[in-house]
Amino acid sequence: MGTEGISHRKLHVNGINMHVAEKGDGPVVLFVHGFPELWYSWRHQIVSLAARGYHAVAPDLRGYGDSDAPHTASAYTILHLVGDLVALIHALGQDQVFVVGHDWGAAVAWWLCMLRPDKVKALVNLSVPFSPRNPHCRTLDSLKAIFGDDHYMCRFQEHEAIEAEFAQIGTTLLIKKFLTYRKPEPIVVPKEKGFDGCLETPIALPTWLSEEDINYFAGKFEKSGFTGGLNYYRCLDLNWELTAPWTGAQIKVPAKFIVGDLDLTYHSPGVQDYIHKGGLKKMVPFLQDVVVMEGVGHFINQERPHDISDHVYEFIKKF
Amino acid sequence: MEEINHRTVAVNGINMHVAEKGEGPVVLLIHGFPELWYSWRHQIVALAAHGYHAVAPDLRGFGDTDAPPAVTSYTMFHVVGDLVALIEALGRDQVFVVGHDWGALVAWSLCMFRPDKVRALVNLSVVFRPRNPTGKPVEILRAAYGDDYYVCRFQEPGRTEAEFGRVGTSLIIKKFLTYHDPGPVIVPKEKGFADAPNKENALPSWLSEEDLNYFAGKFEKSGFTGGLNYYRALDLNWELMASWTGVQIKVPVKFIVGDQDLAYHFPGVQDYICKGGFKRDVPLLEDMVVMEGVGHFINQERPQEISNIILEFIKKF
Repeated sequence: MGTEGISHRKLHVNGINMHVAEKGDGPVVLFVHGFPELWYSWRHQIVSLAARGYHAVAPDLRGYGDSDAPHTASAYTILHLVGDLVALIHALGQDQVFVVGHDWGAAVAWWLCMLRPDKVKALVNLSVPFSPRNPHCRTLDSLKAIFGDDHYMCRFQEHEAIEAEFAQIGTTLLIKKFLTYRKPEPIVVPKEKGFDGCLETPIALPTWLSEEDINYFAGKFEKSGFTGGLNYYRCLDLNWELTAPWTGAQIKVPAKFIVGDLDLTYHSPGVQDYIHKGGLKKMVPFLQDVVVMEGVGHFINQERPHDISDHVYEFIKKF
Repeated sequence: MEEINHRTVAVNGINMHVAEKGEGPVVLLIHGFPELWYSWRHQIVALAAHGYHAVAPDLRGFGDTDAPPAVTSYTMFHVVGDLVALIEALGRDQVFVVGHDWGALVAWSLCMFRPDKVRALVNLSVVFRPRNPTGKPVEILRAAYGDDYYVCRFQEPGRTEAEFGRVGTSLIIKKFLTYHDPGPVIVPKEKGFADAPNKENALPSWLSEEDLNYFAGKFEKSGFTGGLNYYRALDLNWELMASWTGVQIKVPVKFIVGDQDLAYHFPGVQDYICKGGFKRDVPLLEDMVVMEGVGHFINQERPQEISNIILEFIKKF
């Protein structure tokens, strides 16, 4: 299975109990997962980086897996999430760490670098580029203007209704649908079709995802539910309000960005120009490298684990 | 107060009233509670006369600036967001900052969030308070001083406003501005904020009837809810500022406080100042001044000295 030698413990950070998986000795590499995922998404990178002389640390973020999930939806702002990681870095006895983020984890990692650049030696971010705040338009309004009201992030705002819809689909099937999503287009979910109708059921699992992997994710989400993870989306407009001081601010950490060319995030209007024609570099002046992986979808760290481990190692060894 | 210019600037979703004078590098002056831009009237004129562009806003919730209704709209993130947008609207990359009372707290937060925006800081009265990760500030104050400690009394929406209303705006302002007791402000519910209602405090030499009427007129119009909401957002700020636990202030700082200031007598403050804590957390703290016989409203009580100290400090940058 490849998760031998990975140890697990709980640390008290920023008022919550956080479950972390870790392996290895050496400089800390902090792996930050996305939605709907867990520490487990990093199982290959944890083993690979540990073997190369690093201390890999992959938490379940607040609201996920074996970490605490506070009940209040407003306890999932980017300030709470970054606060958890700052406290985790402190609990690990470190001044500075390497950070690798994917999906929501990439967004949290960008903001960790924005708010506490002194804590991050270098960053490798996957899938989600940094999105500068538009002072004239709230986040959900911007999404609606581009994609309409049925964009999945807008649909996720419906407290309880989405959880009910997910429960109807069933956790295992839902995880399968999400993790195998491969269409190079944003997820728009009209109410008539629902998430069941819009996310295809795979005929067979891809080579990089086993039944055992699916069952691990499904088992944890069956236990915790999806509300914790959904609350991140429910704080999008609150985040917009609270990040006003960083309008126009740059991220001053050495960074590498990697995305698959089938990733839905690579197909938002304007994003490719933003990534390749200087927009991202303007916001992240120490962006050293951008890699687009051909024929690769959203769950890049699971789909091309060795490539991603290599990219991470090749970058962080420079520091 | 002729020759001070007034305008409204749209910043961070609100309309902000600013008073300004002069040309040159911007000095952003940030008032406290229960005050206004007007608290800086002397410094505005002095700074302008020495080649600076003095800018003193009414903060959100005060005076002629918008006052959003919700308590949750008064976090440090909102208020600093306003000031970052103001700095941008002024067309500057960096400004000098001078803060007093709540304005000093806002200035500390501005330095933590956007040190790139602050060339140097002169802070008055309120030292930097590193975040204590183990407990929320209002809960800690309540445990230390009880429910009648003024910060605790201020928490309940509407209640303090009603009590202030019973005393009357002008008298409340007078009581605040003439407060000279270095001890903690305990306000027993039976007495309310109107102790010795028949005793008329004489105005100090640095505060005229005209000054008092200016403050009272503006607070009569706006009410106190906006200003009180800063206190009501204290615990929320604590929760949202987890990321800055253990952070240092990395901006050159000068700090000034009066030895009669209640803020100088908050528990632990003098140890924090004298035993190295302040310098540890603010490594670029260049200088500290303790002014003998001076109270809390130091920029109004010793206006020329404060203006001179500011000028002497900022000219170095």
